[in-house]
Amino acid sequence: MRLRVLLIVLLTLLLAAPAMAVDRLVLATTTSTANTGLLDVLLPAFTKQSGITVHYIPVGTGKALAIAKRCDADVVIVHAPALEERFVADGYGVDRKPLMHNYFVLVGPPGNPAKVQKSGTVQEALKRIAQAKVPFLSRGDNSGTQVKELSLWKAAGIKPDWPGYREAGRGMGPTLTMADELGAYTLSDIATYRKYLSTGRISLVILADNQDLLKNPYSVILVNPAKCPKVKYDQAKKFEKFLLSAQGQKIIADYEADGKKLFWPVHPSK
Amino acid sequence: MDFFLGGLTRGLGLLVNLDPEVYGIAWLSLRVSLSAVILAALAAVPLGLVIGQKEFVGKRFLVVLFNTLLALPTVVVGLVVYGLLSYHGPLGGLGLLYTPGAMVVAQAVLAFPLITALVIAAVITLDNRVGPTALTLGATPLQAAWAVLKEARFAVLAALAAGFGRVITEVGAAIMVGGNIRHYTRTFTTAIALETSKGEFAQGMALGFFLLVVALAVNLASHQLQARWK
Amino acid sequence: MSQALFSLRGVVKRFEQREALNLERLDLEAGVITVVEGPNGAGKTTLLSLLALISPPDRGRLFFDGHELPRSGSQLTAWRRQITLVAQQAYLFETSVDKNVAYGLRLRGMDRATREERVAQALEQVGLAGFGPRRARRLSGGEMQRVALARALVLRPRALLLDEPFANLDPASAQVFERVLGELPGQGCAVVLVSHALEQAHRLAQRVVYLREGRLVPEDGHRPGA
Ligand SMILES: Nc1ncnc2c1ncn2[C@@H]1O[C@H](COP(=O)(O)OP(=O)(O)OP(=O)(O)O)[C@@H](O)[C@H]1O
Ligand SMILES: [Mg+2]
Repeated sequence: MRLRVLLIVLLTLLLAAPAMAVDRLVLATTTSTANTGLLDVLLPAFTKQSGITVHYIPVGTGKALAIAKRCDADVVIVHAPALEERFVADGYGVDRKPLMHNYFVLVGPPGNPAKVQKSGTVQEALKRIAQAKVPFLSRGDNSGTQVKELSLWKAAGIKPDWPGYREAGRGMGPTLTMADELGAYTLSDIATYRKYLSTGRISLVILADNQDLLKNPYSVILVNPAKCPKVKYDQAKKFEKFLLSAQGQKIIADYEADGKKLFWPVHPSK
Repeated sequence: MDFFLGGLTRGLGLLVNLDPEVYGIAWLSLRVSLSAVILAALAAVPLGLVIGQKEFVGKRFLVVLFNTLLALPTVVVGLVVYGLLSYHGPLGGLGLLYTPGAMVVAQAVLAFPLITALVIAAVITLDNRVGPTALTLGATPLQAAWAVLKEARFAVLAALAAGFGRVITEVGAAIMVGGNIRHYTRTFTTAIALETSKGEFAQGMALGFFLLVVALAVNLASHQLQARWK
Repeated sequence: MSQALFSLRGVVKRFEQREALNLERLDLEAGVITVVEGPNGAGKTTLLSLLALISPPDRGRLFFDGHELPRSGSQLTAWRRQITLVAQQAYLFETSVDKNVAYGLRLRGMDRATREERVAQALEQVGLAGFGPRRARRLSGGEMQRVALARALVLRPRALLLDEPFANLDPASAQVFERVLGELPGQGCAVVLVSHALEQAHRLAQRVVYLREGRLVPEDGHRPGA
């Protein structure tokens, strides 16, 4: 009996030992950067150069910033300029730097019931959708994508309040699948859309693309050590410098998924 | 049909291909969930034993309370544990957030009411002569409690197995406090959630299949233990 | 008369305000078989639980071997190890007969070889030689009753309390019990026997105690040994 108790204690120690904390930098970031696989190339290169391990937590932009506000992350990579400005203005973030961008795409059912013109601007497209009162699916999860979508409606002077306008409350992938099944229009990041399209899961088509209004800029922001004394500011600063260095920017520029470029670095020539 | 067959064949592929990342995920899931069950059991089994055996005012209320706690959504448990382990939380100093340890804590909290409720039920339905019999044969109160546990061993092991099933399949708490960090806190369920969000449905199904195989192995082992422990 | 092994003084036991037992004065000697008689609900089982130290009295004082016993607490285990009880319907653990009988010896830290020897001896005493490996809870009612007796005898207690030991026994087994119990007073053991099986009980009894509604009935008297 005593032996059995000893065994159990030993087993617990064995199981729990690897659960100890490690020395690492915590990066809270959006699912879109994580899901494309870019970080899985970028982070090992940084670790190799600096010896610093980076753990990334893939969540939405809103949640990434919320985590950082509670001092549970050291650095964030997000894509919602309005939220980022507030985050910095409120004193939570410092050293905000633009990192890269890509483009959102407006997608819709192949039948295109709102008769959106593919050569037109995204504003015209949204007006058509609102006039036709066709289904439109919003992320509804306070992600960078949703923030962008809402700013687009605002810029077009439209209040999206017809019955066909709905919130999915889910990530990009599930939202695309739902939109496809509902015959709805939606705004998506390009990477997730391409992934879903390539697996034949959806038949939605691109209706607006590569316009300045659809630009999706990513920034890197460090968590303010004045607010969060335990944050690893110096290591985070090194990480930011690496991202913006020639090496980091080249990795971003060269990164491709399924043979297609996904991100445009801020310093392409470097 | 492709949807399911594709997942199944890919799952078999994962099993035999010995992909280190997938095996890493399996090992972590197993470690975290077993640790959580052991941790929860250390508190839940004695507590269930006491509540089940003793007569006291408020006993019924406690039983109802534990049965109610079973309805706690995993995401809420995740939120609570996140609040505790967060830098500004009361246990923030431990630096456990976004580590496997945090997932162990969250899953232990999840398993605790389930194991307690099932142990209470096991003890209440057990013959009430066990404790006194042990005492008259010379047992200390602690040894008598152990005898009760031993007599209820099948139900207690079933309670532990149920606790394991609850935690290895949950995703809400693990993703919230573990962060789904690749090679570090990515378990079966958080990996499946991620693969599904990426549209990699076949990979998600394959991981789900792998999870079932692991759960089967654990249950077979516990069954073996039951058969031996006489 | 030597000093009593058990002495009860003003002992009261209640269940939900109802008095189940109220004993002004009761002494039980070592080396004597005392039979407790009385109608259903008289408090016989209650008395044995009290003597077995598993159910503390609400009032009164209990002495064992000249020492006053506490109502509860960790010292009680040491006293309890000198006494054992074979209950009205004894519970056998869900394991083998061997392990059931060895249980008390293991608790007392006895080494394995001695344990096995004593277990085998006790089983033989009750006519169950060779029953060791069988599953205890699969046995017949009478066999279980005999395992329970063996489990108590193996401890060589200073006081053996038995609640209706003859209830499930066939005549042959009853005879075995009678013989085994009859040998105990010679070893200095106090035997307290509750039984409605008047024939056997009276043959064994060196003293009979009558209980009614929790109280002693003054017909109490000594009888010559069987
Ligand atoms: N745990 C208990 N809770 C409430 N009442 C009890 C309890 N145990 C015994 N009693 C009551 O105390 C009284 C004495 O019971 P006890 O079991 O001692 O009787 P007994 O003399 O052994 O009877 P029998 O010959 O039927 O075995 C009975 O009225 C019984 O109902
Ligand atoms: Mg009785």
